[in-house]
Amino acid sequence: MGRYATKRLLQAIPILALVSLISFGIMKLVPGDPATVMAGPGANPADVENLRRTLGLDKPFLSQLVIFYVNLVQGDLGRSLMLGTPVTDAVIERTPATLAIAAYAMGLTVFFGLLAGVVAALRQNTWVDQIVSSIALIGVSLPNFWLGLVMIVLFSVQLGWLPTGGYVEFRTDPVGWLRTATMPALSLALLQIGLLARITRSTMLEVLRQDYIRTARAKGISEFRVIMRHAMANVMIPVVTVIGIILSVLISGSVVVETIFAIPGIGSLLGNAILRRDYPLIQGGLLFVATSLMVLNILIDLLYAYFDPRVRIDGSA
Amino acid sequence: MRHVVRHLSAALLAGVSLAALAQAAAAQQRFECPRRGGDLIFALEARIATLDQHVNPASSRNVTMNIFETLVTRDENMNPLLDLAESVTPSADNAVYTFRIREGVTFHNGKALTSADVLASFQRYQRVGFDRSILEPVTRMEAPDARTFVITLREPRPTFLEAISSFTVPIVIIPAENADAPAQQLPIVGTGPFQFVDRVADTQIRIRRYDGYRPDTRHQQMLGFAGYRQACVDTVTFRMMPEAGARTAALEVGEVHGVEDLPTVAQRRLAGNPNIRISRLDHYALVVGYPNLSQAPTDNVLVRQAMQAALNMEEIMEAATDGAFRLNPSFQFPGQAYYTDAGGNLYNQRNQARARELLARSGYRGERVVLLTNREYSYMYNAALVMSEQLKAVGINAELLVLDWPAALQLSTTNAGWNFFYTGWTSVFAQGGAQSLRNLANPANVHRPPNNQSDDVFMAAFNDITRGATLDERRAAFARAQARAFDQVMAVPFGVMPKAQAVRANVEGFRPYYATRMSNVWIRN
Repeated sequence: MGRYATKRLLQAIPILALVSLISFGIMKLVPGDPATVMAGPGANPADVENLRRTLGLDKPFLSQLVIFYVNLVQGDLGRSLMLGTPVTDAVIERTPATLAIAAYAMGLTVFFGLLAGVVAALRQNTWVDQIVSSIALIGVSLPNFWLGLVMIVLFSVQLGWLPTGGYVEFRTDPVGWLRTATMPALSLALLQIGLLARITRSTMLEVLRQDYIRTARAKGISEFRVIMRHAMANVMIPVVTVIGIILSVLISGSVVVETIFAIPGIGSLLGNAILRRDYPLIQGGLLFVATSLMVLNILIDLLYAYFDPRVRIDGSA
Repeated sequence: MRHVVRHLSAALLAGVSLAALAQAAAAQQRFECPRRGGDLIFALEARIATLDQHVNPASSRNVTMNIFETLVTRDENMNPLLDLAESVTPSADNAVYTFRIREGVTFHNGKALTSADVLASFQRYQRVGFDRSILEPVTRMEAPDARTFVITLREPRPTFLEAISSFTVPIVIIPAENADAPAQQLPIVGTGPFQFVDRVADTQIRIRRYDGYRPDTRHQQMLGFAGYRQACVDTVTFRMMPEAGARTAALEVGEVHGVEDLPTVAQRRLAGNPNIRISRLDHYALVVGYPNLSQAPTDNVLVRQAMQAALNMEEIMEAATDGAFRLNPSFQFPGQAYYTDAGGNLYNQRNQARARELLARSGYRGERVVLLTNREYSYMYNAALVMSEQLKAVGINAELLVLDWPAALQLSTTNAGWNFFYTGWTSVFAQGGAQSLRNLANPANVHRPPNNQSDDVFMAAFNDITRGATLDERRAAFARAQARAFDQVMAVPFGVMPKAQAVRANVEGFRPYYATRMSNVWIRN
């Protein structure tokens, strides 16, 4: 397994290099440069040019690219144009909030999504199934910005239970963290809960029709044991893949949710960076997201092998 | 006495706030904080990236103008006002300006302010400052003694004080030892009533009262970013809350003491709330558009005049601002030194018959008229949307091109691919009379005239604004320039947007301005 993980990590290097090249190239091709944005409309062209020189944007494309890669191999992602701080610091500073909210949202998703999916499958075509499926459909359909605002009105303005926004770090105040992270996590999770519930339900229904489940029941094994030991183990194989995708969506951050709740995370950082054409920050942020997704994919593959012993992680069947 | 005379002379020449000075002198009582203490939490719309005020033209002013001060700033009506300068003495030909620095002012690190700091600040601004072209006529700067700072210009420039008092990107005074800081990396040490404490990225910035602050005793009250200022609260926490709904909710539940940029819809809802007080700066931003003079068919003045004739500004501003607007036939706001309605007869014509007649005379054959806008600033998008329908109604083949703001802005700096661009002027007015029209003058020319040469008649008037020896002469020149801009349709002012801010009822002394001011504000028990 160690060899496999190492091999996958090495494979990730050229992919990350490609990601960085694409992100660098795309941002240069898209119209709008940071100096123009910072200068604003009606700025004196000489001032814009001075600003461009100050920001180091006057160098040719290839020079900028070479400088970027030379710095990258030294672990230096450059300096953010809008923040004036090293990109690495900016990303690291905002990573905990994004990861913490993503983990919270993931926990909610897995718990409620799996539970709802399994219950709906076991009570197929009953009112329980109808309700769960309807809620799942609503969850998938609701835009999270609308949901976030409605939650603020309900939980903050009307009930006064939770703060309207902001973020408190878990290590400084766990209760404060729970209060500030709950609405953003719920906003993010609801869509994913609906998605996971629907996939879990359909997978469970398929598994329950398999011969080995019928055999297990015929042997007189309790229904709980049939579900938990025989059915769930097989349901988890496709579900783990979906969970991996969901987690990558959550980690890459939600610009909208982080903006609504004033969360200092990667999503809002990248959103701002794109709107201001802060090239170093966009490249650094994308590299961070790409790296996280690579690591996540490797972990998912390892988990996949854990749930399905037929899969040999060395590639042989 | 000579200083006073020269100071008043300078005031007359540059429009320095005599009215404000007189008002201050007439005031019976100097402001004293009725109550001190407390942490005032104020919600800002923007996520402030950096506090280097030499470089940032945008929202950082909301925080920094409570921390930093300038030699000369603006009063409530945008007239120049001395701040860290005790006096200014222009030479007879307005080519040399000698500033006397106020005594007893100290930086937040305890060091006394001297002219060496002022010199170093101006030199850093020349090197990295955003609006460094305002120092372009400067040939020499020197600090002959600890309290004297002298600027020598290449040529007489009566409007120099207007230029350097602009708070668009102000020349804030920093300690000389920080002047080598690269752009965006300035240590946050100023001379203002508040000093920087800390910041949490994208979340909040805290400032606290600077106990060594020496208020400007020439005045009785706060004027613009200067005057007699005091920090009444212990600390101010600026929370960054970009979402208007969340910001408003935070105010309603009392999580914050105040918010900036309250949406019009929320203003109506909160109007009856006894716990909230809404205040409004009536003239905050001019919604404005530019035609592209290098792209057909807007290279034809008759087509542009037809477009202008077709516009109904009430409809456009209603959509742009949710009904919170004032019509304004001028490129200045009422009450400002250069305000005039010259050429205003061409504003808000709502004359479709005339538009069709001008179109017929122009030879227009249904070419596309591309209205370049964006969705990040909804007022610009809405203005474009309504305007496109008004143009279609007179037979113009108007078409929206919606890009994101950086892409739209970038495209607007080229000569092709668009015919009309939408934007808003806010701090443009802080640049003074001449400066506010410089967008239409060489070399800026946002309206993209052929060969980047603006209209000769306009340029003659514009140069007179810059060089006019007296304020009256410059006002007259401004009126001529504005009338020409209307006649040639070099830009189209749609109307004025207010800026609404709101505070909890226990917050006293808060007055809206172009950026958030926390001096002379206190929290009632």
